[in-house]
Amino acid sequence: MSGEDLRWRQQLARELTIRARAPASEVMTAAISFGGKARRIGITGPPGAGKSSLIGLLAKQWTERPSKVGVIAVDPTSPLSGGSLLGDRIRIDGVSTNSNLFIRSLPSGNTSDGLCPNILSLLDAFEQAAFDHVILETVGVGQVSYQAKTLVDTFVVVLVPESGDTVQAMKAGILELADIYVVNKADLPAATKIATELRSIALWRGRNESWVPPVILTSATENRGAAEFSEAIESHRKATLTEERVAALTIARREYVLRTLLVGQIDEFMARNRAGLQDASLAECFRILIAGLGERADVINKA
Amino acid sequence: MEKLRGKRIIIAKPGLDGHDAGAKIIALTLRDAGANVIYTGLRKSPDYIARVVIDEDADALGLSILSGSHNALVAATIECLRKFGGTDIKVFVGGTIPASDHEALKQLGVVAIYTAEMKLDHIVASLAEHLG
Amino acid sequence: MSLRNDLLEGTDGREPPLLRPETSSGIPLPEFLAGDGEEVPGEFPFTRGIFKNGYRGRLWTFRQYSGFGSAEETNERYKFLLANGSSGLSVALDLPTQCGYDPDDVMAIGEVGKVGVSMFSLAEAETVFSGIDLSKISTSFTINGTAAIIYAMYVAVADKTGVPRSALTGTIQNDILKEYVARGTWIFPVRPSMRLIADTILFSNEHTPRFNPISIAGAHVRDAGATAIEEMGYTLANGLAYVDELLRHKGDANSFAKRLSFFFYVHMDFFEEVAKFRAGRRLWAKLLKQRYGINDPKALMFRFGVVCGGSSLTGAQPYNNISRVAIETMAAVLGGAQSIFTCAYDEAYQIPTEFSAEIALRTQQIVAYESAIGKTVDPLGGSYFIEWLTDQMEKEIAKVIQQLEDYGGVEKAIEDGYPQMWIAQRALERKLKKDRGETVVVGENYFANQKDSAVDYGQVFKSDPSGEARIRSRLSALREKREHAKVVTTLDALEAAARAPDANLMPFLVECCHAYATVGEIVARLKSSWGEFSEPIRL
Repeated sequence: MSGEDLRWRQQLARELTIRARAPASEVMTAAISFGGKARRIGITGPPGAGKSSLIGLLAKQWTERPSKVGVIAVDPTSPLSGGSLLGDRIRIDGVSTNSNLFIRSLPSGNTSDGLCPNILSLLDAFEQAAFDHVILETVGVGQVSYQAKTLVDTFVVVLVPESGDTVQAMKAGILELADIYVVNKADLPAATKIATELRSIALWRGRNESWVPPVILTSATENRGAAEFSEAIESHRKATLTEERVAALTIARREYVLRTLLVGQIDEFMARNRAGLQDASLAECFRILIAGLGERADVINKA
Repeated sequence: MEKLRGKRIIIAKPGLDGHDAGAKIIALTLRDAGANVIYTGLRKSPDYIARVVIDEDADALGLSILSGSHNALVAATIECLRKFGGTDIKVFVGGTIPASDHEALKQLGVVAIYTAEMKLDHIVASLAEHLG
Repeated sequence: MSLRNDLLEGTDGREPPLLRPETSSGIPLPEFLAGDGEEVPGEFPFTRGIFKNGYRGRLWTFRQYSGFGSAEETNERYKFLLANGSSGLSVALDLPTQCGYDPDDVMAIGEVGKVGVSMFSLAEAETVFSGIDLSKISTSFTINGTAAIIYAMYVAVADKTGVPRSALTGTIQNDILKEYVARGTWIFPVRPSMRLIADTILFSNEHTPRFNPISIAGAHVRDAGATAIEEMGYTLANGLAYVDELLRHKGDANSFAKRLSFFFYVHMDFFEEVAKFRAGRRLWAKLLKQRYGINDPKALMFRFGVVCGGSSLTGAQPYNNISRVAIETMAAVLGGAQSIFTCAYDEAYQIPTEFSAEIALRTQQIVAYESAIGKTVDPLGGSYFIEWLTDQMEKEIAKVIQQLEDYGGVEKAIEDGYPQMWIAQRALERKLKKDRGETVVVGENYFANQKDSAVDYGQVFKSDPSGEARIRSRLSALREKREHAKVVTTLDALEAAARAPDANLMPFLVECCHAYATVGEIVARLKSSWGEFSEPIRL
């Protein structure tokens, strides 16, 4: 590894840690960027879907161009211990020391949306380090995905045939958010069935949306789908670089930041005043809370 | 008790040793003590391990070696860490480490050596102390 | 360990007579006892033993530790053991050889010649067996990922020393499925590894019918954390997977089963161990009959060896391990093992000394000749308790096998990391139980000496500091001496065969060995055809 590579990597590593640990009010407000060079791709899906290996394939293709690829891999924090096993990065690239690839593993923490704190700021750090792509990997369960969609430019949902009635189970929810559907382990027999179901969902969505999400079949054992996958991401980028969409996403991200900051303040306040709030009536609690938040109005100094 | 809350710890198996029960036990235990743990799996080179430590900005690195090759592998890994600028990371070692090798490992910078009969509680407490 | 060995030097080498069929007070002992119409030893389903005359006909094999850093030292050691009456040799290989790396590979740093011999090419094998008549000895190789290559090397040595292949006896462990789960010397993905194993079995049927191409080990799973039930269940499931693979290659399950042997640990729960072996024998015979229609009794016999010790031994108050090993040896004998390896009391924390190795051997000899519990076959058979426990174990073991099948089979489970995950959980449970004092380990968590609680680990593996450099220079010398073109030709042919689904790779491997291709070179070609196993890390 060259001296220059080493330097920027060290810097980025430290920067990510600083941003991850800083209080939300300090880092989040500066992070609403859009139209930057780094293409943000969110990849989500149930555990066992093979997201990490797919990301590894994408990373391999893109870094060879060459382009710089960053990955933020989020794994759930154990509610019991507060600890976590961050197992994605080894699955993404457990072998080489590719100097164009940078992976940071993070626990989801105690956030209500299952995304690690200060996520926007972390994505932004890659932007500032001149990355071409940043991938956000999350476990697609409930709330997580909804928020993740706002934060990225292209949102991918990965499913596998073994999940049985995955499609049925997930109908209301992330399937409606996906910009691209990937059916992984497509060598398995049920893959075609799932792909067909997804295509009909995609068509149905296409009636109301300008982009009809493609369904990509991938398989590590058959070594197929990786190129189509990255092409689909590229197509989506081209199709959605409209002013309209940029504006909409900027608004959505601002709302995300606001909500995160507010919720964070509420959580903090309630934790600090648990005893006091216990005895008050609900209406009183509400008033105390609003007053308390009002006192914290200056916590954000930057616009 | 979440003694290791917030700490980022890598557990690695350098070289060719294939006995991973101990490494996995430690990884699970540290997770249960509140740490954010990355377990690298088998057969990782010192270079790769050091890279992971730096990129993940880990607080500590645990090397598990039961093949007797700890001296060479620990030295190589610490050298890679130094090369990549990671001198403030606390390195600890687990496995079948003869008493006669402890001093040399400490000289290399290893902060603690944990062997199989030590209680998991003690290991967590000891690590918590080292990581401050 | 020096060659000066009081163990054999001091004794006159006489062997005791076969066990006399009477108690020490003179009561004549029947070969076995059974109720009317009840099961007898030597008959399907062999719960009570595979031989009607048990240990009266032949005692179990006493296996001894061996394995030294360099090929020359190993050769000297073997000549010594041979001169003193052993005819069975155990060869341990170093990790680079086991994992398919040459001594100069970056992954081999610090590991060359450490836990065994560096047998990176035929030249090294020729040194190990120099001056030894392969037709007169039986060699057991603890080798798995590169088993087919080492086997090919052994055959090549026989070829070069004029020994007919059909005269070769011995074993290669060659049990890749457990590697993925508990021992870690895997190389290729599961499918091609299974194909390679089928190739070795078919080849040995034809060319080395007295050489056992596989020894299925449950031991490592147990040592890694699995329970006795899981140990047997997982092992039998693997066994069935190998039979299935052989059948896919149109092999003969009957002749395969006749030569199959298994390998387990014996831990401290005495009756559970006995019942485990009895249940294993019964279940294996039943499964082979049910699933494959095998009826030949010889093919239904469950032959197994054991290791007494392993993770049941402690570093604290190590002399206690002598008692432990003695108890475990008795369980193994009452369970009907065909070979027993007894760990030395200090094995957990250092290389056994001559003193401790001698005690380990004497332990077996004391159980064999003094306690003489082997005089009657399956003496515990018929006990209400043992029969009940055997039934329970059989039921639970069958459940484990079914669980793996329900998952989609052993191969799929391994690729997904399912058994690996469950074993890690077990290992953690086991450790926590010890830490909490729920499991009693005398001298460790109870009755420990207040004064000396730390275990004083010594060198666990012998290493010759100059060894690695010397071995690497031998590799360079070999590369210069050998005929390069021939190496390439044989490797090319191997690679082509590897890509062809129906070719048996063994003859190609033998040719590569004859050309002095190295283990690393051979493995590299196979990797380019098959890829590498990607470890599914699930915790």
